[in-house]
Amino acid sequence: MDSVLRLWANYGPAFGQALLLTWKLTAISFVAGFALGVVVTVARLLPLPPLRFILTGYVEIFRNIPSAALLIFIVFALPDLNVLIDYEPSVILTLVLVCSAFTADYLRAGINTVGGGQVEAARSLGMRPMRIISTVVLPQALRAVVQPMTSLLIALMLSTSLASQVPFPGKELTTLVAKIANDSAAGMAAFAVAAAMYVISGLLIAWAGATLEKKVRILR
Amino acid sequence: MSRTLDEVLFSDPNPKVEAVLRVVSVAVAVVILGSVAAIVFRFHAAGQFELRLWEYFAWPTTWAFLAKGLLGTLASAATAAVIALVLGLVLVLGRLSRSRLARWPATAVVEFLRGVPTLLLIYVCFLVLPSAGIKLSTYWMLTLPVGLSAAAVVAEVYRAGVLAVPRGQTDAARSVGMSEAQVFFLIVFPQALRYIVPALVAQLVIVVKDTTFGYVVTYGELMQNAKVLVANYHALVPVYLVTAVLYCLVNYGISRVSQRLGRARRSRASA
Repeated sequence: MDSVLRLWANYGPAFGQALLLTWKLTAISFVAGFALGVVVTVARLLPLPPLRFILTGYVEIFRNIPSAALLIFIVFALPDLNVLIDYEPSVILTLVLVCSAFTADYLRAGINTVGGGQVEAARSLGMRPMRIISTVVLPQALRAVVQPMTSLLIALMLSTSLASQVPFPGKELTTLVAKIANDSAAGMAAFAVAAAMYVISGLLIAWAGATLEKKVRILR
Repeated sequence: MSRTLDEVLFSDPNPKVEAVLRVVSVAVAVVILGSVAAIVFRFHAAGQFELRLWEYFAWPTTWAFLAKGLLGTLASAATAAVIALVLGLVLVLGRLSRSRLARWPATAVVEFLRGVPTLLLIYVCFLVLPSAGIKLSTYWMLTLPVGLSAAAVVAEVYRAGVLAVPRGQTDAARSVGMSEAQVFFLIVFPQALRYIVPALVAQLVIVVKDTTFGYVVTYGELMQNAKVLVANYHALVPVYLVTAVLYCLVNYGISRVSQRLGRARRSRASA
């Protein structure tokens, strides 16, 4: 306990900033990844075989590639192709690509829970396919995937620890712990504080997700 | 339902619409091929097709080295998976126990291991534990954190499986005089396993992905060996590209096995 207090005296503000940066990276990546995932999902429904083929490839690649391998490719290999992306945007891009692939995958499963009869009914009312997607299919699919999306958001928050692999000036929680462990003997206390911050953030997200899930759940 | 949703969505008897869709399809294909060509040209313009950047892929030693890395990945992943399966079982027994003394610590451990990044646990094993006098080999610095993280998730998967087993099974087993241990291990758990085998296999993908951090502790897995190759041949793009493809193939394979197991179970259930 004593060591935690001393750590807080020395690094308190740093931990506050690290937590904020962790949240910021999580929020940006999730919002952008989610939006991109919805676009990919809808585009995959279009009756255009070449588009479906390439997007299926997109989803499979970014679902199966380890985020660390992707980040290292973006940061260290892309400059050799004259594509230079700064460190922080590289981390966000990595997380966005991975998040969008998982979002597309979950939404696809969510769409499969919508009965074909509903679509046939909408069509017989004269609704256009894109209108059916946006007003009948997607809303139900989105409501069906609240739980997996909550898990994805938590996983994404934990993945922001990837930022410790690239030397950008901001320090999120994992980078800060690694730095404190390198500089002083307070590694264990630093780990305890950071772990508590991660766990509490995760529990908050899980609670918010469960509340939302209760509100929007569709009873079939 | 005989027709898939997208068939219902876009089926159109109007031949004009079909013709338009065909034209758009071709246009999309042209755009995609154009993008691929642009990427290839970018490789060319950046000098990435130079022979010295690729020729070592013709040498068996290069592939032997990458294969050794892949073997390191699989060795670490396999051990981590065993840790996850065994520790996950211990944790779920605690979580489902009727005694608070077992339930609360098990729940706390699960929430803790699930809520902390694997990479942070690796840093603890790598940077913090040595200063406390605990020295692990690079293999365990990687495998232990990956296994512990996965154990918490596996415990939740087990729990979902156990809760999915109908209550009547437990009551029936108790009423014929089985002990609590017999009820769990002979009646409930085997049935739970049948529900969750696909999810457990899918979890392997996450374990394989997490072992990528082997390069942090210089354990010789695929990513670490790729780094060594990069240092030797100064060929970042080709080596990391090949490595990424290898990872995708391994994980895609595991995903497919998991999906197939899921389908097999469902069709047996409906039969």
